Amino acid sequence: MKMIVTRPQYDITTRYLSVWAAEVINFAKEKKVEVIDLLKDKANKKDFVGRVKKLQPDVIFLNGHGNDNCVTGHDEEKLVEAGDNHNILYGAITYALSCNSGKVLGPKVAENNEAAYIGYEDKFIFVADSNYSTRPQDDPIAKPFMEASNQVMISLLKGHCAEEASEKSKNKFKEHFMKLSSSQADPDSLQAAQCLWWNMRNQVCLGNLNADLKV
Amino acid sequence: MIVDKNIKKILSDDEVRKLVMARLSVLSKDTMISLGSEGSFTRDELIKSVENRDNVGEKLAEIQLEWLRSFKERMIV
Repeated sequence: MKMIVTRPQYDITTRYLSVWAAEVINFAKEKKVEVIDLLKDKANKKDFVGRVKKLQPDVIFLNGHGNDNCVTGHDEEKLVEAGDNHNILYGAITYALSCNSGKVLGPKVAENNEAAYIGYEDKFIFVADSNYSTRPQDDPIAKPFMEASNQVMISLLKGHCAEEASEKSKNKFKEHFMKLSSSQADPDSLQAAQCLWWNMRNQVCLGNLNADLKV
Repeated sequence: MIVDKNIKKILSDDEVRKLVMARLSVLSKDTMISLGSEGSFTRDELIKSVENRDNVGEKLAEIQLEWLRSFKERMIV
């Protein structure tokens, strides 16, 4: 089984996403999945498209900025865009940890009978502690956001179908926001709870909901 | 523009912004919020954005309104 991961790293947000995606990569390797890790400037359109076409991965994990129509790589280079090259995602399960791509790009990919696309219809927002910006993996405030997001990939790699993987991720978001919303919660926790809830309600699973990885 | 018919009956846009600013003002100074390609913002930058009614400020107000509405929905359920 093959997985392609894009991990641009050029600002605080992409650094957090990239560092936390390592958890998924390690889990995939434990499962003997062949991982093609497009890190930093390797997360460019030429490398990404070339690898996807050549290797035809079972699962694609996109980390980066995005908008309704596209997901970007290093330095905001568009990697995949609706109406341009969205068809390279056909036949795979894609999880896009980026803003908004569940609005137009996701439905466009989902026109293919075999493809599944999990993403967000609006902004993916997270709260963090600026003291941890050089070591995001230790940031306790960002942890619930990244754990809940990673749950999509972890569930897929455990053999759950796309719909179940998305549900499990949403449940993780919910579990964390319920914990942080308690009446004794401090203002930072309440803000984090609100943003976790926002991400949960904006996560969408489109296309072939029964698509799974043969693990 | 902040749109939510149900909440708007009780809260005006300015009142929502005041509520958001009040919530932000009690965050710790080290807290930052990442809003995708808009960037990552400190507490004070976020308050300024709400005051200035820029994209970031309006998004925070929208999230606040949706959050309030979700409580109403949960109460009805």
